[in-house]
Amino acid sequence: MFTTIGNTDTSTTTSWKVVLPFYAYAAIAFLVACLLLLLSAGDFTGHYFHPHTLAITHIMALGWGTMMILGASHQLVPVLIESKLYSNVLAYISFASAAIGIPFLVHGFYVFDVGLHTQCGGILVIVAIISFLINLAVSMVKSKYENVHAFFIFTATLWLLTTAIVGLLLLYNFSFSVMPKNSLDYLPLHAHIGIVGWFLLLVIGVGSRLIPMFLISKYNNTRQLWWIYGLINGGLLAFVSAFLYTANKSLLTIPLLAVGTAIILFGDFCIRSYRQRIRKKVDEQMKVSLLSILMMLLPLLSLAIIITLLIFTIKENISLVLGYGFIIFFGWITAIILGMTFKTLPFIVWNKVYHHLAGKGKMPNPKDLFNNTIFKWMSIAYILGFVLFTTGILIHSIPVLQIAAALLFVTSLLYNWNVIKLLLHKPAMS
Amino acid sequence: MIPINANTKIGTLLKLHPDALETIVSISPKFTKLRNPILRKVIAARTSIAMASKLSGCNIDDFFNKLQPLGFDIDTTTIIEIEKGQDNKPAPDFMKNISADKIFQLDVRPIIETGKDPLNVIMESIKTLKQGFILKIINSFEPTPLILLLSKRGFESYTETISDELVNTYFYNNVNAFMVADNKESDHSAAWDEILKRFAGKTKTVDVRQLEMPLPMHAILEALATLPIDNALFVYHKRIPVFLLPELEEQQFSYRIKEISGAEVHLLIYKD
Repeated sequence: MFTTIGNTDTSTTTSWKVVLPFYAYAAIAFLVACLLLLLSAGDFTGHYFHPHTLAITHIMALGWGTMMILGASHQLVPVLIESKLYSNVLAYISFASAAIGIPFLVHGFYVFDVGLHTQCGGILVIVAIISFLINLAVSMVKSKYENVHAFFIFTATLWLLTTAIVGLLLLYNFSFSVMPKNSLDYLPLHAHIGIVGWFLLLVIGVGSRLIPMFLISKYNNTRQLWWIYGLINGGLLAFVSAFLYTANKSLLTIPLLAVGTAIILFGDFCIRSYRQRIRKKVDEQMKVSLLSILMMLLPLLSLAIIITLLIFTIKENISLVLGYGFIIFFGWITAIILGMTFKTLPFIVWNKVYHHLAGKGKMPNPKDLFNNTIFKWMSIAYILGFVLFTTGILIHSIPVLQIAAALLFVTSLLYNWNVIKLLLHKPAMS
Repeated sequence: MIPINANTKIGTLLKLHPDALETIVSISPKFTKLRNPILRKVIAARTSIAMASKLSGCNIDDFFNKLQPLGFDIDTTTIIEIEKGQDNKPAPDFMKNISADKIFQLDVRPIIETGKDPLNVIMESIKTLKQGFILKIINSFEPTPLILLLSKRGFESYTETISDELVNTYFYNNVNAFMVADNKESDHSAAWDEILKRFAGKTKTVDVRQLEMPLPMHAILEALATLPIDNALFVYHKRIPVFLLPELEEQQFSYRIKEISGAEVHLLIYKD
């Protein structure tokens, strides 16, 4: 079977036809998530286990974060391992099943009818992840290069698969009691395997390659990256065991410290990379991406407070947990994507439009394919909206939440404007 | 014995044999222009025997018959590199649907009279020619070398011979905008081959095909840092280094890219 769906192309540049649908889908998902946020801003004063909150979280985690990462990975992994993507067909399968599965799943949460169509949505998402995992594994095995960054991405995808399988079990647990406890009790497990195992591991794996590249920095420290890899995976395994086998809340400080150390090491990696950079001028897109690295400290801080309160008061602080989730999905992950979209997509589009014209004469600069003014306004709307919404959650103020949600919706409109402008780019007058 | 064929350039003949000039002039009065040293230098170098015979209206054999006594060895088996029988061609589509305000006229006869090469003037006009517009060149002969040069750049052409002393050639720009020049001094529309020619003998080479990411970029930037000002850097690469391009722009380098295959790309990086 594997011989029939492999690529015959010798290039390590993945076709734009594989990559661009993921970007387009992610942009629309972000718009939908912000629209739902605007419609249900008031729900963020209540409990986090709310149908609307669940729906928004899953659009953000799957439609926005995961789709974007899958798209970028199809482009990036072949470059990292110095060999071509094994199969475009698997990439298309991965896109199609996720693209169909995510709306089913999200709609099921929103109306809180967690029956068959929601379960089918979950199964389709798992099919998408498995296709990607196979594509990744075969590409890596066929390559002669071992690469720490590719290991990060592969391990992160295994954690993503684990997250999705746990998620599907929780879904069945609503109807059939397949697990000893309530689904709500397992929510921290599902959420953290996803956040730490998938998002954090992947962002560090990819970021440690891209950040030095965009800054044109000579800094590289593979040993430091393997330490980070060990700390995150070790911390996550410790968390899963502590969660499943003990009721001792103070044990949760061990994984928190391990993951916290990993994040601080990564921060150190970025600072060293920044100091040794050749490119002295740092553009807006890089500033937003570097800001997102600082934002990693916010969830750590709130998590530390949540765990401290758990240990001393036995009762979890609902709005803190809600704030924690919001900071991760609308803060850290969104900031990375907002910045990185415009450091990757213009180059993919440039390659698509100009590579065969390249010998003919002067070409436009890839970074001129989107509008930087729109980008700046988007960043301003985003930072204001993010800070206000977090404040609104903590002070339980519906008007503040609504104004903030409107700002985030504006952010998503401006983001889509630039993405559509890029996707529709035609050869231009230089 | 010096072998020549229909594609041998007039310039080569003149270099090879001092008497070739007068011999060629005797073939047709049209070739008296060649006595002008400047014109001889610019036109003769670009014109083959086949082209010359075509624009003078005589036969290639007339050339061969006259040149043979000078000691040239004639090879008549070579295939001629220019199209034959353009004289009776019907007007192409672009000529039929064009409005007069989209045709720019350039009479190069006065330039040739003063003994200068009109090529630079023509190329300047071509550079400012917008897509969908036509440049009409008025000349005393069919500018075959120019037609070949511009057809390589994607221009369509049409020649109408009004009389022996008046030939109009129309060049139609149906190519994309990268042919359009801006107001800078540098020649942005120059294609790969021209830039390569411009830096012939002044090129440093770097091969980054075996380097792992992101070392190719560092290697190229390091090579550029020590590149003499009037030199170009020739890069062998596995792919188009898209992330390098904004940096080149930043450092005010120009570049040209030639894709050999999906896994091989050549770059030329230089300062204008």
